[in-house]
Amino acid sequence: MIDPTLALATRGLRKSYGSRLALDGLDLSVPAGVVYGFLGPNGAGKTTTMRVLTGLIHADGGAVELLGRPFTRRDRHRLFDVGALVESPAFYPYLSGRENLRALAASGAPTPAGRIDEVLEIVGLRDRATDPVSRYSLGMKQRLGIGGALLNDPALLLLDEPSNGLDPAGIVAIRETLRHLASIGKTVFVSSHLLAEVQQMADVVGIIASGRLVREGSMQDLLVSEGVVRVRVEPAEVATATARLARLTAPDRVTPSRMEPGWISVQITPDRTSEVNRLLAEAGIFASGLSSGNDLEELFLTLTEDTTSGDPDGTFAGIDPSAGRLAPNEVLS
Amino acid sequence: MRLFVSALRKLAPRMATLLTFGLLAGMLVLIDVAVVATRGAVEGGPGRPGNVLALITFPGAYDQILSFILGLGGLFAVIYGAAIAGSEWTWGTLKTAVARGESRSRYLLATFAAIGVVLAVGILFAAVVGVITAAIGATVAGISISGIGDRAALEALPEHFLRGWVAITETAAIGFAVATLARSQLAGIGVGIALYFGETFAGLFLPDVVKYMPFHLATAAVGGSTGFAPVPSSAGPVMSIDTALVLVAVWLLGSLVVAAGFGERAEITG
Ligand SMILES: Nc1ncnc2c1ncn2[C@@H]1O[C@H](COP(=O)(O)OP(=O)(O)O)[C@@H](O)[C@H]1O
Ligand SMILES: [Mg+2]
Repeated sequence: MIDPTLALATRGLRKSYGSRLALDGLDLSVPAGVVYGFLGPNGAGKTTTMRVLTGLIHADGGAVELLGRPFTRRDRHRLFDVGALVESPAFYPYLSGRENLRALAASGAPTPAGRIDEVLEIVGLRDRATDPVSRYSLGMKQRLGIGGALLNDPALLLLDEPSNGLDPAGIVAIRETLRHLASIGKTVFVSSHLLAEVQQMADVVGIIASGRLVREGSMQDLLVSEGVVRVRVEPAEVATATARLARLTAPDRVTPSRMEPGWISVQITPDRTSEVNRLLAEAGIFASGLSSGNDLEELFLTLTEDTTSGDPDGTFAGIDPSAGRLAPNEVLS
Repeated sequence: MRLFVSALRKLAPRMATLLTFGLLAGMLVLIDVAVVATRGAVEGGPGRPGNVLALITFPGAYDQILSFILGLGGLFAVIYGAAIAGSEWTWGTLKTAVARGESRSRYLLATFAAIGVVLAVGILFAAVVGVITAAIGATVAGISISGIGDRAALEALPEHFLRGWVAITETAAIGFAVATLARSQLAGIGVGIALYFGETFAGLFLPDVVKYMPFHLATAAVGGSTGFAPVPSSAGPVMSIDTALVLVAVWLLGSLVVAAGFGERAEITG
């Protein structure tokens, strides 16, 4: 089952804490050399996955492949090529930032002497390297934690919500660092509970909810496949229009809005917007509003709220640009 | 070796280290000050043994100082061992080492080896401070310090010191193992102290069992007079100090095996 183009793969990963199921057959396929956004609401199982991938806990079932080889209990040396920040960064508060990295470098993979200063430079802590970590701000600790993950110049970087506590400039800096790492062939697996953040930096996205993979694919494909065209008609015409629009796709992908009477959502790619218009016009129904976008945010919101009967049509780039969503053609351009 | 050196570097500047041995040495200084300051009252007091001055009278002062260090050191070492092991979980630093592919048991054992070295240096430091202040105290009190070079006393010191170090290291290992099982600094220290006093207390009722328990054995291994346990045990026939030393070593190794074994299997979710 080993696919050499994958830097990381999990198959049917299961993990419970006591009676609480945290991972429920998780299948991830992380291609080498990309930034992979591991997106999921709080409690979805992101940290649990990170723990399994770093040998902190052991899965109840399923398999993990790290860098093209199986990863089991006896393979801790595989982690010499992996850098990780799992949940919150951990340090000796009375030691300086540099001394903490030094202590870290004494474990796991051998680290060249000059690497500590390089890493302090990358995460922008050179000036404060001799301060005790107890005097660091939350964001500085987070940056030092990311520095620790970079210490062994890993082929695969696992970062669990790395932007926690960072200021906007820090977030941008991290994003650029991660993009740079991917551009030189490293694989970055980064978790987040924020769609906008993942949209801005990931090439590939996996969405997880309740310990299971919900969607996985390139950001671009996902934005297209989650495309939605919304059209507004007279409330009296909604039923007719809905039936007619079902010809464009499956009937269950055409949904009248309950919140905004007259609006109908059609889950088709945005490039088919004019087809919606033509189909309705042919039936003598004239749209008073028409817009297109993607439904990724809605999908994610639904998962986050853990609702099954939410209003499926959400906000649109064309209507609510402040939502920070990108239209498909703007993504990664 | 890398791990061990790193563990030493981490322990040296640590508050727990400075506090433990600073406190031990500081108390010796205070006692000597008190002895010197009150010497008139003690000497003149009717019915008082007057042997308080023994603390600053060489060569006997050597034994007194070591006994004091070993006596208090037992409790201090449980707390110290628990504090160091527990903080690895409380701070999450064990997590980062394991995530880097480090062996859990190697990491824990290297950490404990560093604790052993720090304990040796620490009690040596406290002893030196004790001897210096006792000598100063004796001079102030007008007692001759000619006994300070007593050959027999000096020759006995290394063995006494070595036994004391093994015994103190054993109690530190108990604290280390307890805090590892508890995965927490606070819980580890709490349970460590409870075990220490619990064993002493149990000694009043179950002397035959308790004499095989770690703190009583530690006392027995250094000659029994020092009292690792705060209340003197009523246990009758004491074993030979060499048997006690062997049993102390068994507890020491046993604690480390338990700590390493548990660490190896534990789920690290902190
Ligand atoms: N140490 C733990 N003990 C018990 N349950 C836990 C523990 N850690 C996480 N969980 C549970 O496992 C599920 C997944 O948690 P987690 O992996 O931390 O999610 P995420 O990182 O995506 O927010 C949650 O229901 C959480 O309550
Ligand atoms: Mg998490």
